[in-house]
Amino acid sequence: MIAINTEAILETLAFVATFLLLPPLLVGIIRKTKARFQNRIGAPLLQPYFDLMKLMSKGETISKHTSWIFRSTAAINVSLLIILAFLAPWTSLRPFNLGADLFLVIYLLALTRFFTVLSALDAGSAFGREVTLALLVEPAVILCLAAIGSVSQTSDLGVAFSFNNVSLINQPGLWFIAGCGLFLASLVELSRMPADDPTTHLELTMVHEAMILENSAANLALVEYSHFLKILILLGISSQCLLHAIPFFWHTSQLILALASILSIMILAASIAIIESVAVKLRWTKLPEFIAYSVAMSIFCVFIALSKNLN
Amino acid sequence: MILDTFEALAMVSAIFAILILGTTHLRTNLSFYSLHTMAIAAVTAWIANITHEDHLYLVAAGVFIIKSWGIPWYLNSVIKKINIGTDGGAFIAAPLSMHLGALMLGLSFMISQQIPGLIGEPDSRLGSTAAMSILFTGVLLMLTRRAAISQIVGFLVIENGIYLFAVTQTHGMPLMIEMGLLLEVLVAVMVAGLLLFNIKKSFEHIDVSQLTELKD
Repeated sequence: MIAINTEAILETLAFVATFLLLPPLLVGIIRKTKARFQNRIGAPLLQPYFDLMKLMSKGETISKHTSWIFRSTAAINVSLLIILAFLAPWTSLRPFNLGADLFLVIYLLALTRFFTVLSALDAGSAFGREVTLALLVEPAVILCLAAIGSVSQTSDLGVAFSFNNVSLINQPGLWFIAGCGLFLASLVELSRMPADDPTTHLELTMVHEAMILENSAANLALVEYSHFLKILILLGISSQCLLHAIPFFWHTSQLILALASILSIMILAASIAIIESVAVKLRWTKLPEFIAYSVAMSIFCVFIALSKNLN
Repeated sequence: MILDTFEALAMVSAIFAILILGTTHLRTNLSFYSLHTMAIAAVTAWIANITHEDHLYLVAAGVFIIKSWGIPWYLNSVIKKINIGTDGGAFIAAPLSMHLGALMLGLSFMISQQIPGLIGEPDSRLGSTAAMSILFTGVLLMLTRRAAISQIVGFLVIENGIYLFAVTQTHGMPLMIEMGLLLEVLVAVMVAGLLLFNIKKSFEHIDVSQLTELKD
């Protein structure tokens, strides 16, 4: 229950403001870091906000052959991801716990992809590659989160990630491996470099871009914004796993924790940029090899959970 | 289950060994092997710290210098000279063999629960789990890969597994034996490297599955 007092209201406002305003900044950080790596000055950090505002004021072009699904997908996705931001444990500062079942979180994410694919189908864009990747990466995400859930004896991610769960306090190995696995999986889920080049202009090599080619103006702004929100949530979950691996954060104050979780999301965003600068996009047939690493991490997580439950 | 530091390090080395299985890119294999051996050197140093057996520090330094720097560096230079970047093709696809390796880790956990005599003081079942899983990983590497250089890496991984088993169960052998073993491994890798040059020269490939065909 939400107690009606000013502190709770302030916390809630801070939480909502964070998840509404932070995502474009993350993308700004990624782009700026990449630019610095390529010896360019790069666009300012706040450029994604300006881009979104510019897109909002443009005139929209809609294909005559599309139906209401194409029009409403962007709005559906943004609202689904806002619900997810309330549920998923992407930051340690959550003013209230609504009870986030791990399968609910995973399949709300899958539902956003379902609608994106549906709108791509409606507009006649290519969507097969994204679906293939999603299929390969889903077991990794489920197994990592399920291992954490089974050690903490609950499927509620809000309880498992709450920093006061005694059964998880001495499990740095589990948290660290789960964090690595989820980070590798989110690279694929977010269509970042080893799986997909987000800056490509060649339709044959696009994975995520290919699905949103038909969107324009306000619709495109919403699609982009929902992708940014997804970056925040997925990176947030993996950074929370990594934070739980460090014993220091179990005995510290709420404020430091909240700052650390925001900072660690930014560090992960910067590390995505570094990966994108030093690595190349993998050949399509080599991608299962990359995803296998994240699945292997999740299998290790399951083993740790099993050995914990056996003893 | 609260892990001892050396058991955690042993598991880290087992995990790095399994990650070797995941790619057929030889340079990546060698860097994973290097990390894996570094973890084993750290296990040795930590056991020296616990048991106050000072000669184990020397062994750890030897493992670190010879096995985790010297051998990967030498094999890297061999790869560069014979100009082969990736393993031609594995008998089992690389992702699949990595998952097989991960399952082997679970299997060796179950086996080491059954071995009598391990559950003494100190309880080092996780150390033997890691050692056995490294053994299995090395066997998988040697069985599933075609390129001769992967066979060498597989042999080295098996050797590391046996060494880890010895060091976690008996807390180290005498210094002379350890040094002799290190030297033998070094010599074996040198000879195998030279052999690789000759195989490459006379067959123009290093695919071990085709070495049965006679050729002059």
